[in-house]
Amino acid sequence: MIARALRLVRQQVRVQFQVRLFNLYSFALYFIQPAIFSLVGMLLSRAAGNPRPDLIYTVIGSGVLGMWSGLVFSSLYDIRADRRDGTLELIVASPTSLGTVEAIRTMANVLTGLVSLLAAFIIAVLVFDYSFAGVNLAAVLVSLLVLLAGLWSLGVFLANFTVWSRLSGSYVEFLEIPVALVCGFMYPIRILPEWMQAVSTIFPIRWALEALDAALTGSHDLARLAECWGLGLLLSFLFWGVTRLLEGRVHDRIRVTGEMRSI
Amino acid sequence: MPDPAISVDHLHKTFTSRSGFWRRKAKTTTAIKDISFTVERGELFGLLGPNGAGKTTTVKILATILLPTSGGATILGHDVVRETQAVRERIGFTFGGARGLYTRLSAVDNLLYFAELYGLAPAVTRRRIDELLALVGLDDRRDDRVETYSSGMQQRLHLARALLHDPELIYLDEPTVGIDPVGARELRKTVRELARRGKTILLTTHYMAEAEELCDRIAIIKEGDIVALDSPASLKKRIPGDSLVEIEVRAADLALLQAALKDLRAKCQTLAGDDGNKKLSVRTRQPEAVMQAMAPFIASQQVRNLEVRNQTLEDVYISIIQGKKP
Repeated sequence: MIARALRLVRQQVRVQFQVRLFNLYSFALYFIQPAIFSLVGMLLSRAAGNPRPDLIYTVIGSGVLGMWSGLVFSSLYDIRADRRDGTLELIVASPTSLGTVEAIRTMANVLTGLVSLLAAFIIAVLVFDYSFAGVNLAAVLVSLLVLLAGLWSLGVFLANFTVWSRLSGSYVEFLEIPVALVCGFMYPIRILPEWMQAVSTIFPIRWALEALDAALTGSHDLARLAECWGLGLLLSFLFWGVTRLLEGRVHDRIRVTGEMRSI
Repeated sequence: MPDPAISVDHLHKTFTSRSGFWRRKAKTTTAIKDISFTVERGELFGLLGPNGAGKTTTVKILATILLPTSGGATILGHDVVRETQAVRERIGFTFGGARGLYTRLSAVDNLLYFAELYGLAPAVTRRRIDELLALVGLDDRRDDRVETYSSGMQQRLHLARALLHDPELIYLDEPTVGIDPVGARELRKTVRELARRGKTILLTTHYMAEAEELCDRIAIIKEGDIVALDSPASLKKRIPGDSLVEIEVRAADLALLQAALKDLRAKCQTLAGDDGNKKLSVRTRQPEAVMQAMAPFIASQQVRNLEVRNQTLEDVYISIIQGKKP
């Protein structure tokens, strides 16, 4: 059973990389786009009289934004491509559930997004001469795992919503920038109006980012870090749970409407 | 006695589309109207009908891709709505056209992926891929990207994919569409071989000769309804007259020709011909009597062309689809 699951994961990830991720478009998505965000952030920082860009909210923030954008794009693109190529019907009618396939694909997409973050770290060290001495490394790693869990749970939620109908993906596109703004990818969340801060609390990545911010600035306030990690993981679990609850309905609906192929 | 391979019971399917922003309007289209039929194990069953008749919708319900609006169906004794997992493990299917493959992957990588979706063990997967690529004649292109394949090769790869898990029942939805005659003949050969091995096959096609050549029984579906169901030989007997005489004459001579044929009680149909000519299609059990009646017209060179042939399934199909009860 476990061996079969691992084979399915390996095969699905392999196909995901070969079909969707190893191409020029993905290169632009995961490298060029975050680089532009980073550049804009640095220019804004300089214009504000800060000669050295802020590590967390300019350099790392652009990497996280790249991960988020890549996830939204790839979640949408996977289902749209399956509709266009006629492979969605084949997956739906196979003994493996579409939900399982979506979950594995999203995991591959999230892990691919790590290259954006890695690139951001490399730029921070090589270009801006940042030093990571003094950071709480263990807390950074845990925060990264929470961030990955948060992104994955949102990814499967959005992918499931994209399956709903041929048009539902368009609504997912609308979410990309608002979520990025509300979650404070490129600025401290405390500068946002209170109501926006309240909205952001439902997104697990907001808590993961706060923890990452604290860990990178060397915080050893374990109580606060644990609170952020806990909330991030709890909300990730909730998003995943809601997805599982809705999954059956979504999959039944497309079997009623027949919206498994693009027109 | 084992359950039939397919048992369809009053299957009905409608699709509802909505339009408008403020005032949403719903439009319901009926794809299948209360159809019932059974397919026995080991049978090669054909589903024929024009575009939009409901063939693919029927196949998709039987493949658990769509849910019926009412009625039901069982596949090898398993309900298509309540026992989807059991059905999915036992069927293989292909849909006509190039879609349904990952074109950036090779044939082997496509098959590896789908083998995993069907939960095949690695050793079985390797053996099945080798066997199937040989069966469909793609073993020499196994590592090439599918985007470099011709339509026929893609269609054959579809078939290999459908057979990966060695299903008992196979749906082939227009498998030869877009394939050249040589490729289509190869594919028909493969289908016959599968039938010989005892597989139950549900075939939908537009090509009557293909259906006549391959199928044990045929259902003709029109506007979502089954209007005829029988063996090809029995269906052909439904049309009066065993032979078809097609006579092409000048339009001006048509009335004379019809008068000459009046006493033969043959069923005549006038069709448009080329260059202002008219074609008269005569169904008859006495082609020699028609030839005798035609003799003066042939002698006076009023007949431009004449062809005597046996009725084909296509003649039956056209007769049924055009609304003439056989």
